This record gives sequence, structure tokens and C-alpha cells, in this order.
Amino acid sequence: MHSTLVRAQNVFGFFTTVCFVVAGLIALSDFSWERKPSSTVSVKDVQVVRGRPHYYSTKKEEYAHIRFNLNTDLSSLFTWNTKQVFVYVSATWPSNSTGPRDNEAVIWDTIITSPSADHLQNIGPAAMKKLVKSAKGKSIDPSRGKLNLKNQKAKYQITSPTGKLAETDDVVLKVHYNVQPWVGMLTWTPQVDFGGWKTMKGGVSKAFTLPALKKKKEEPKKATS
Amino acid sequence: MADQLIEKVRDAAEGQIDFEGQRFAERLATALLSIVGFISFAVGFFLQDIKLALFIGLGGAALTFLVVVPPWPVYNQKPVHWLQVPGSQSAGQGIIVDGKVIS
Amino acid sequence: MLSALQNPRQAAAQLLNFGLILSTAFMMWKGLSVISDSPSPIVVVLSGSMEPAFQRGDLLFLWNRNFMEETKVGEIVVYNVKGKDIPIVHRLVRKFGTGDEAKLLTKGDNNVADDTELYARGQDYIERKDIIGSVVGYIPFVGYVTILLSEHPWLKTVMLGIMGLVVVMQRE
Repeated sequence: MHSTLVRAQNVFGFFTTVCFVVAGLIALSDFSWERKPSSTVSVKDVQVVRGRPHYYSTKKEEYAHIRFNLNTDLSSLFTWNTKQVFVYVSATWPSNSTGPRDNEAVIWDTIITSPSADHLQNIGPAAMKKLVKSAKGKSIDPSRGKLNLKNQKAKYQITSPTGKLAETDDVVLKVHYNVQPWVGMLTWTPQVDFGGWKTMKGGVSKAFTLPALKKKKEEPKKATS
Repeated sequence: MADQLIEKVRDAAEGQIDFEGQRFAERLATALLSIVGFISFAVGFFLQDIKLALFIGLGGAALTFLVVVPPWPVYNQKPVHWLQVPGSQSAGQGIIVDGKVIS
Repeated sequence: MLSALQNPRQAAAQLLNFGLILSTAFMMWKGLSVISDSPSPIVVVLSGSMEPAFQRGDLLFLWNRNFMEETKVGEIVVYNVKGKDIPIVHRLVRKFGTGDEAKLLTKGDNNVADDTELYARGQDYIERKDIIGSVVGYIPFVGYVTILLSEHPWLKTVMLGIMGLVVVMQRE
């Protein structure tokens, strides 16, 4: 500590140590809050149509377009160390009708940021202004964890590597979340209760069957009649 | 001339403090940073505000740097009194190099 | 500098100390690599394709073992593509089948389209073996220095200059 340089080095060294200790404590503080998320999801409408994966492709595949209702309460996931919660709905279905559901595809997702991470969202200036205003004066905003979607259109259509999807049996929609912290462990929907962190209540739809292929030729007829 | 200039710059840059001052600075840095870390976590935890915790931590660290790093007079209150070299004519800090006294 | 030459014992001690620091760092890296079963257990985020979850310069800790269950949809994985040397950090959005042969599709949270375009020519899916780990831990910003140094090489010169100045200014 005899010269300025040595003092600067020592203070900086201890500063980094303190930083890591505090960061570790912040990461551990995640466990001090209960998590008891709940959600209900149900299928509203399903269609299977034929299409091409992209404009230049000659391959024809079957796509399932799904509309669903989602009601979810994830407000207990928002603490000071929550940067964002990634909510996603996936469809799972079996490859053959007797087997387990071994295919899974995300059909819809959304990112819910904490007010502390609002400025990082990739949205237009008007939407950003609205978002920041919605949490004015709040450091966390658990009310954002409540979603109520009616007849929501899927963002991503279901496909299959085989190109066949019509009349698939035993399809199920599931709600999942991924909590992204400011520092520490990333966490996903737990499979079993873990201390105060409970599994998702509900969050699984009834099994349903994808309908038969929709005939394109019928559409103009419908329009005229 | 150039040597003297470098010496002056070295003195300014080196910022020597006395032994008591070194002990004091060391303890002060440890205490200040620990307290700042604790306050930053406690305030952030109870107000549920991670940005506030970050600003308290950074502000406190900046303050600690300001208090501890420069050679403030507080750290130089007990300068070391060297014993006189026995039999030396030139009292004080004078050193004889090549027959000339350099102060 | 000169004093080190005059005192070989001190020079040797310094050299050994430096070697010790390097080898400790290397051992910790390799140890973590063995524990997590990942060739690169810690990665720095280089792109903004996972924003707002990950910014450039954030540090990610990877885990590449499947204890209880398989790598599943929703996990954020780091994978390699044939013919590209930089690994990609994206989220797993589709999985067809199970086991090593499962077909996996990834997508960046901040990207509109999935990663089919990023894969090798004619490759529509990745497999489990392309993945070098799933993201389990996160520290923000700490890796930003490496990005600064690789993107602005003149910074290295500046750092060397400052170190030289410090050496000149120090008295022996």
C-alpha cells in the first residue's frame, strides 16, 4: 500500500472480490422466493394444410395451424434478479399412434422483461415508450406475468421431417417458462417440486387429434356459395 | 535536468505514504468496500431493485478509490524519522555524491 | 529489468510464478471441461441474436451431461456447424424423435426465422452431437474485455504502452 499504483491495484482487487460475493448472494437469493405458477391452455381450432417450406422449394409438406386459448399466472417468477421470463407453448405428439410423444415443437412464445431490462427489448420506439411507462416507478412488475389470450394464432406452424401430419392422434399443448436471471442460474419449468419452487399447476391441454388434410379446391366454392 | 524532471514525475506518480498511513489505508479500503457490498445487497434485496444495488455498488467503489488511492495528508502524519549517520558532517537529509551535497 | 538479469534466482522465481498462474488457469479450465463434459465450458456471447436474454460480452456456463432427461425443447444450447469455427448460442425450438438421432432445430430469440439458413448446405437439422452444452449459468458483461480486445487491436498497443510507462516510472 506504499504507492498510488499498489493502492489502486489492491483496492481494485478487493473490489472484484466483493463484486463476486455480492453477485453470488444475489444468485442465491432466488431461492428465498416461492414460485407457484399456474396456467390453463386449450385448443381452439386446428387446420392441416399443404405447403412448401420456402418459396424455392419443390417439396410439399403438411403444416398444422393451431389456434389456442392461454390463461397463465407467472407473477411469482418476477423478483429483483429476474431479467426476463421466456414463456412458450409447445405441441407434443407421438411418431406412431402407440408410442410416447417423442416430437415437440414450439408453436408460440413471448418474452416478458422485468422493468430493469425493458431497455434491452427489440421493439419499436412507440411500443418501448408504452412499455417503460407501464412500469413507471416500479422496480419489478409481477402483473406482467399474467397473460390471458383468447383464440391466439400460433407464431410457428407445426411441421414434421416426414412431411406427414394429418390425422395425427394424441397431440398435447404444454406451457413452459424459462427464467433468465441478471446473474446466476437459468431455470426452466421444474418437473418436481424443489423447495419453494412448485411445478406448474395445469399447463397441459387435453389430447386432441389433428384433422384430415384441408382440400384447397373447396375454398373457392365456399366463397361463391 | 531530464533526470530531475523524471524524479519529480515519479514522486508525484508514486504517492508515497508512511507506514501508519499504509496500515490505515489498507483497513479503510477493506472496511469501506465490505460495507458498500453489504448495503448494496441489503438495499437491493429489500427494495427489490437490482439497478439501485448496482449503482450503490459502483458509487461506493468510486468513493473508496477516491478516499484510499491518492496520497492524502492523513496518510502522511507520522513520517519516518531516520537516525543520523554517525560521524556525518552534513546534518539532515543531505547525501554526498561525488563530493557534492544533494538535498 | 536489468536487476532481473543481475539476479538470476529472482528472475527464475518470477518465471516460475508466471508459469504457475498460467498452469492453474489451464487446469481449472480443463477441470471444468471434464466436470461439465463440454469442450468449452465457459463461452462469451458474441452476437445479439439472443437479446434481451444475452448481450454481447455476457459470460455463459455450459453443461453437457444428460443425467435425468434428454436435452429438450426450450433449452438454450451452444452448437457447432460443420465448416464454421464459431459456435452459436440459440434456443432449441423443435425436436423430432429421441436419443442421439433426434432431429433438432434452433432459433435465436431475437431472430425472426429459425436457424435452417445458418446450418451447413443441405442440412435441415442439427443432432445432439453438434451441441457442446446447454446454458445453465450466467454472469453479465464480464467477458466484454475479450470482445473489445479482438475488435479493436489498437487497444492492445495502448495497454502495452501503459504497462511500459508503469515500468519506467517505478523505482527499483
